[in-house]
Amino acid sequence: MEIQVAIILLLATVIIAAAAIYLLATIMQLFKINSGLAVVLPLVGQIVQKTAPVNPIVDDINANLVVTRDALENLMLKKAGPDSAGIVESLFPGEGAKFLRRVGRTGKVVNVGTVYTRGVGILAGLGRGAPIGVAHAKGAAVRDPRYSTTEVAKLYPAPPDRRDPSRVIPKSPTIGKDPVHSPYEPTSTPGQRTRDAQGRRIDTPPEHH
Amino acid sequence: MSETLADAALWITVLVLIGSAVLLVACLKRVLKAAVSIPPKIDAIAGVAAAASKDLDAVAVLLTTQDYIKSIRASVLDYGGSLDAALPDY
Repeated sequence: MEIQVAIILLLATVIIAAAAIYLLATIMQLFKINSGLAVVLPLVGQIVQKTAPVNPIVDDINANLVVTRDALENLMLKKAGPDSAGIVESLFPGEGAKFLRRVGRTGKVVNVGTVYTRGVGILAGLGRGAPIGVAHAKGAAVRDPRYSTTEVAKLYPAPPDRRDPSRVIPKSPTIGKDPVHSPYEPTSTPGQRTRDAQGRRIDTPPEHH
Repeated sequence: MSETLADAALWITVLVLIGSAVLLVACLKRVLKAAVSIPPKIDAIAGVAAAASKDLDAVAVLLTTQDYIKSIRASVLDYGGSLDAALPDY
């Protein structure tokens, strides 16, 4: 009986001693943690203080960039019409479809840059519908002569003869069709011939009554 | 008979105490291990926070960038207005 009591007392002592040793070590570590956090917290406060004005500034920058982008996109739509997405695609691959979605339009994005070389596309835009030369007289072709018709058909709805008449598509202006001062328009005064039918100069033109 | 029962109860108490001691030491060891692992991480965080705080000194440059963006916006809008007047509409 005495041996059992002695063992119980010994075990209780061991348990208390172990708990004391481990808890003291843990308390020491907690002091270290406390001192470490005392260093970290002011630094975190500095970070918070320094990053506070970032959000308003970035929001302002984003707002300015969005306004600029919208203005340029509207200008592009106004000037290039349905070719806008293709032009954007030719400059920034992959952005043509996003451009269409942003402006609320749908349709196939044809990369203008793959159809026309730089410069020829500009000429095509200026002279809409004009037959751009299949090839230069000297040098390489400005566009692929084999697939040029197909690519143009992708860019424009249809050739004029197969175009849907319900769609009002402006045609290219014809120079000289209705000029302001035509050499063939009738004169308001009779006028006088200075040469005869053979080209000889007439000194005194005959008077007509 | 009663002495035998008391004897058995004491031996059971001894066994329970041994089990409790082992369990308690294991738990306290794990708590101490977790506590020991925290201070190095805090030191590392303190180093990173100090570096981040120093890097954030450049945030003031954003004010200059903001002014640049505003002037660029004005220039681009002016340029767009000129293009609008110069180029024919589609």
